[in-house]
Amino acid sequence: MKLNGVRSSAIASGRGCGIQQTENGMAQSLRKSIHVVADPKNLDASVDEVFKTMLGIDCQRDPVVLSTPTLGGPGTVTAVIGFGGLLSGACVLQCRSEAAMLIAAQMTGMEFQEIDDTVKDGVGEICNMLAGAWKSKVPGLAAGCGLSVPAVITGHDYDLHVQAPEFELRHSYRFGDASFTVTIVCDGIQ
Amino acid sequence: MRKIIERALRQAGLEQLVVREAGTGADGLEQLRSNPVDLIISDINMPTMDGLEFLRQLQAQKLAPGVPVVMITTESSEEHVKQAIQAGARGYIRKPFTAEQVKERVLPLLKSA
Repeated sequence: MKLNGVRSSAIASGRGCGIQQTENGMAQSLRKSIHVVADPKNLDASVDEVFKTMLGIDCQRDPVVLSTPTLGGPGTVTAVIGFGGLLSGACVLQCRSEAAMLIAAQMTGMEFQEIDDTVKDGVGEICNMLAGAWKSKVPGLAAGCGLSVPAVITGHDYDLHVQAPEFELRHSYRFGDASFTVTIVCDGIQ
Repeated sequence: MRKIIERALRQAGLEQLVVREAGTGADGLEQLRSNPVDLIISDINMPTMDGLEFLRQLQAQKLAPGVPVVMITTESSEEHVKQAIQAGARGYIRKPFTAEQVKERVLPLLKSA
């Protein structure tokens, strides 16, 4: 999977939101503070905030990160939001179909028997909020980094690979019997 | 997002509202030509036509004059909010949001409509 499409979209989105004006001024400080940007606590806090507020779900961090083959089994949903601007990369939410339908049901109050467009929109929207919440926790990144619209992939036996990332955070979480994995991957920081 | 907002409005006690949905900004503009509304709620981050462009088109085409528009955004920076207000939005809701927050933003605008 290549992230170029979502990244281009995120960069285009960022251009309309004042990123160009702040880019030069912020460039130095973001690279210098990569330990802050890559702080794993920010991801946990973002997941907690989004799932509690939007879904009323208290997620537990799973000590075991679900491997891609596990997630890539039958009926997997992957939502991708691209980052563009001071930081380029993506926020990726992966879960099994059952978890995706639970998330969408909790968001909309509807019941789902299959992965339809509403489920895909719901998972994409949660990924969008996770990306927004995550970048808002890093000073300078909220205004200096644009988000793409969500891309949602469904299917099985696929993998997500990013070449030589600057850093990658990959955490799994559990609610009830369902689980999901969130990955923040950064392949460029200015 | 449309289903989520509709559910939040109903959870906030606004069950009597008639909600019209548009899948895209262009669809929303088209619907507004023939369907008067009291309030418009739009996401900013949308494909094809983003929420800010939707607002600009809304004003340029003089559709729904005086109708308050609330933007929903994941972006929390002052710059994004300023752009939405400058483009004509009367309020914004930051994602993630609770039904109560939707009510707080929407109810005063509906009352003044």
